[in-house]
Amino acid sequence: MSERLIGASVPRLHDERLLRGDGHYVDDIDAIGALHVAFVRSPVAHGHVTRFDATAALRAGAALVLGPDDIARLTGPLPTIWRIPGQHLGEVELAAHTVRYVGQPIGLVVARDRASAEDAVELVEIEIDPLPQVIGIDAALADGAPLVYPEIGTNVAGEIHFGAPVEDVDKAVTDAPHVVERVFDVQRICHSPMEPHGLLAEWVPSVGSMTVWISTQVPHVVRTGVAAGLRLRADQVRVVAPDVGGAFGGKAVLSVDETLVCLAAKVVGGRVKWIEDRRENLTASYQGRGQRAHARLALDADGRFLALHTWIKGDLGAYPSQAGSGPFQVAGLTVEGPYRFELAAATVTAVYTNTVPTGAYRGYGMQESSWIRERLIDDAARELGLDPVELRLRNMISPRELPHTTHTFLTYDSGDYPEALRRAAELAGQRRKPSTGRIRRGVAVTSAVEVTGFAPSALLEMFAIDMAGWESARVRVNEDGTVTVFAGVISIGQGVETALAQIVAEQMGVPLDWVSVQLGDTATSPYSNLTSQASRSVTLAGGALMHAGERMRARMHALAAAHLGVAVEDVKLDGAVFRSSERETTWREVAHRGWMGWGRPDPDRIQLEEVVDFDPPAITFAHAAHGAAVAVDLDTGTVTVEDYWSVNDSGVLVNPRIADGQIVGGIAQGLGIALHEQVLFDDATGAPLTTTFADYHLPRSKDVPDVVVEHRVTPSAHNPGGFKGLGEGGTMLPPATVANAVANAVPEIAGSLTVTPLTPQRVWELLSDAGLAG
Amino acid sequence: MKPAVFEYQEPRSLGEAVAVLATPGRECVVLAGGQSLVPLLNLRRVRPRIVVDVNQVPELTGVHITDDVVRIGAMTRLRDIERHAGLRSALPVLPETAALVAYPQIRTRTTIGGSLCHADPAAELPTLAVALGARLLLRSARGDRIEDAESFFAPPGTSRRPDELLTEIELPRRQGFRFRFEEATRSGGFPLVGVCLGVRVDERGLVAEALVAAGGVAEHPVRLPAGERLLHGRDLAGNVDDVVSAVSAVLTPPTNTHATAGYRHALLRTLLRRAAAALATGGGN
Amino acid sequence: MAHKEITVTVNGVTSTRTVEPRTLLSDFLRHDLRLTGTHVGCEHGVCGSCTVLLDGAAVRACLVLAAQVDGHTVETVESLADEGRLCGAQRAVMEEHGLQCGFCTPGILMSMAAAERDEQTADEVVSTVLQGHVCRCTGYLGLRAAIERHFREREAAR
Repeated sequence: MSERLIGASVPRLHDERLLRGDGHYVDDIDAIGALHVAFVRSPVAHGHVTRFDATAALRAGAALVLGPDDIARLTGPLPTIWRIPGQHLGEVELAAHTVRYVGQPIGLVVARDRASAEDAVELVEIEIDPLPQVIGIDAALADGAPLVYPEIGTNVAGEIHFGAPVEDVDKAVTDAPHVVERVFDVQRICHSPMEPHGLLAEWVPSVGSMTVWISTQVPHVVRTGVAAGLRLRADQVRVVAPDVGGAFGGKAVLSVDETLVCLAAKVVGGRVKWIEDRRENLTASYQGRGQRAHARLALDADGRFLALHTWIKGDLGAYPSQAGSGPFQVAGLTVEGPYRFELAAATVTAVYTNTVPTGAYRGYGMQESSWIRERLIDDAARELGLDPVELRLRNMISPRELPHTTHTFLTYDSGDYPEALRRAAELAGQRRKPSTGRIRRGVAVTSAVEVTGFAPSALLEMFAIDMAGWESARVRVNEDGTVTVFAGVISIGQGVETALAQIVAEQMGVPLDWVSVQLGDTATSPYSNLTSQASRSVTLAGGALMHAGERMRARMHALAAAHLGVAVEDVKLDGAVFRSSERETTWREVAHRGWMGWGRPDPDRIQLEEVVDFDPPAITFAHAAHGAAVAVDLDTGTVTVEDYWSVNDSGVLVNPRIADGQIVGGIAQGLGIALHEQVLFDDATGAPLTTTFADYHLPRSKDVPDVVVEHRVTPSAHNPGGFKGLGEGGTMLPPATVANAVANAVPEIAGSLTVTPLTPQRVWELLSDAGLAG
Repeated sequence: MKPAVFEYQEPRSLGEAVAVLATPGRECVVLAGGQSLVPLLNLRRVRPRIVVDVNQVPELTGVHITDDVVRIGAMTRLRDIERHAGLRSALPVLPETAALVAYPQIRTRTTIGGSLCHADPAAELPTLAVALGARLLLRSARGDRIEDAESFFAPPGTSRRPDELLTEIELPRRQGFRFRFEEATRSGGFPLVGVCLGVRVDERGLVAEALVAAGGVAEHPVRLPAGERLLHGRDLAGNVDDVVSAVSAVLTPPTNTHATAGYRHALLRTLLRRAAAALATGGGN
Repeated sequence: MAHKEITVTVNGVTSTRTVEPRTLLSDFLRHDLRLTGTHVGCEHGVCGSCTVLLDGAAVRACLVLAAQVDGHTVETVESLADEGRLCGAQRAVMEEHGLQCGFCTPGILMSMAAAERDEQTADEVVSTVLQGHVCRCTGYLGLRAAIERHFREREAAR
């Protein structure tokens, strides 16, 4: 095989099946005989549950009702992954005797179908002694605020500081000739995968085994959680992720709801199913973002960056979810981006509120930090009368300065940040359109680095993050010569199975269609902890498979050489045939002989399997520059993104077409954050106001322009394939880029563009305050 | 999100339908296109005892065009209105406004009568009905009754009584008028504010008669006679700021999750200005 | 409460089943007929994942009661491939990378199928067919390219 597969935009392996409607999502699994769950959820934001009476529901035919007492008796808590210093809650409790957000599961009903289960939920009688609730970060930090946990005497869950000592930064800011100071908000958002959460859990009492088919990003983490929550041994639990209809960080942990469904299966001793509906998904699933940052950028007269400080206050919601403050901490860690600062620091304060908890969301802190940094720089340029691209370039880390360690101790490995920014600026400059009448137009470019492949494992241990950075993969040549790849990362629609097959086929020198990829089953997949999140699937599993594929290729050649009685250097694989100068044998025959154990060159190795664990030496950093051209309607406040550009460097690309799809899809989500999406609560009651897609607005086709994606390739040295990740990168920059373009179009409101989403109403209010609106 | 239990009735004629609705003590809802009702059923925000599906009542569908009016059966679907060649020439603002409603895959089911009876205060067709001065034919076992669109929309819903069925909508053709429907939507295409402006222009190019209605600026779609009077005798190409201000002044729009009163005012002014400008430059129908 | 017997022709096969009045067409197709290609994404008509053809027109299966399709004809994504070969719309979506997780894809394909039966121009189809669909993964570029290409090719072939 001389054809290069790494770098080829081959069609995705699973597309045809999905296009036929033969996808196998969790609700598609034949669940004959399964019972169905509906949850009894809290109607209030805070209170003590004083009564939970299932009599009427059971009388009406419910198969099972579980309330807080049952749950407390039958379960243990779920372990958390990432905590913040001071955090008093180290575990997620399943039983809710005290409810702390509207929608929190208090109990559940099991019935013959979902509709009947919902009927029975209405018959469960609950009484709740209400307590005062607190909604929103500022309200939670106000003097005399109602406390989510009165026992700790504050709504502050914990705090951490990264980078230079705050006194040093304060002094630098005080002494600086120019300071830009702003408060920047990032709204709460909902992942809204088109397939909501769901699972089918089966308990077989006679053998004591639990099998869970679940729409998840993390089968092994689910296994750990189910075992902990149900007080089972890990070997009693098998978790299978079938096709997953999108995740975006929302399926990166096991939720309370999901654990309770497994509990229900165990109690009924059979199969129980729960498919989250959209209202539940929008109101009761862990959400993303939700932070307010007080940020200061100090510059000297030449526009050199002297100091950057951000104080990030993050909204944990009612309790720290497993990842909890992780995204806020990453926002603090990554705030420097691709620039040099004489001093930089971030303080992160995690805050409890009476709202549904937050956690991982595509872009994980890096969208939030980019929003802060790139908005500050843009406003600084405007105030100093400098070109914003020039100001960025003046402070940007050049390739000669790499590796570069930030004040928060991240070491950037490779890339050409200035070149990407210049190219994005060039693209944006070419397409600049004039303002017309009441339509103002503007362009902007921004830049960011992306943490990809969160590793090595020792680094995570150092940060006390309960995650494993390594990844493992297994390549097996089957007895007929076909190749099966087992990896711990999973497919959530991103196309990783295709990319992994490409890597293995190329490394082994076999056609792509000999290779199949098996993912997402704890019974067969290698252990994987972080799996498909943190822009790491190809970087980590691909890195492992670079080695595993190469080793398996070598073994097959050695077996062939032994069979042919020649030196291994004399064997060439030509299509399906191994040839030496005189004799030949087929790949299939060699595989067959291998499994028969015949003529093996290494007497101790028989199985045609290679397992490789890959724990890279360091994080590898991708980077990107984005550009946007917007039109602002001064009469309606509507912001239209007319053009969008991305110049991205994710190292070696395995499948450029899939890579483009990831970047464009990420940009679309970023545009949703920039302009459309926001979770809203009624401040007076804590009730969620965005309960359907009529209120929570996802970007539609008309909202996403024809994004142009260009690639630069700086291979990663931390990885045998030269890969860097790209799953999240697209999402990081659109809010800052769009807002900066709006600022460019309407400089009169630039300093007030501090809150996303920039909805027409919000922009109109800013225009109106500036005397510009109609 | 599954509906609560209900009983399903499927009358096959108008008489049968009205008889079902007349049964005393029954909590019925009428299922027309279902594109607003079924979501509400799924969310259990509406929980009828009986769903009366009138999709099988043949008398409720059809378009009749005379010199003065068009009469449209309440169960006529928006997709059929959009594509109706006769309507496109007899009353083009109707198919054009119908095409603004939701998405194509919704308009295959949505009916004009269902949209009017659902009476979302920002929806397009109620605003158009008010602008045109539509008359609605309501039938019950007690007899027929005709209601003007303006009085039909009575918050929190409509003046339709539980035993009544909207059977037909009569829309004056307003020959000699040109209409323009302008709307602002929120993300996702949901209507926020809509303005329908119709004018008949004299031989000097001045407005001889105007019709103005707006949705999304009150609890129900409203006719704006102040604007109509002020437009009289005006050249639409000129400044209409006073008209816009006068119209805006009489309204106190609601503030909710989707928009504040102030923003609704601003949209109303902008849309009215745009509608006037469009008609001044020969746009509209 | 009274159940209703319905007879419906789905993808050319006529079946008779008894349903609860509250059963949605989407659930009927998925759970009674085991045609799981029709996906349920929101159950309030906004996302478009459950779009099927009812008597040839694209509708939301989550906003139609199963009881209402008695005597009618329904087509789902499972009907599109012709003797095992992907139809033109499916091929175009695959070749233009118009899908990632694939959950919204069947609904979009059914809207494309409905548009194929309309007299609309390619321009009209391109500007309208995605109006009623949400895709969370792709950012729509591949979908637009697929729709554009598929309907331009059809127009050229006419």
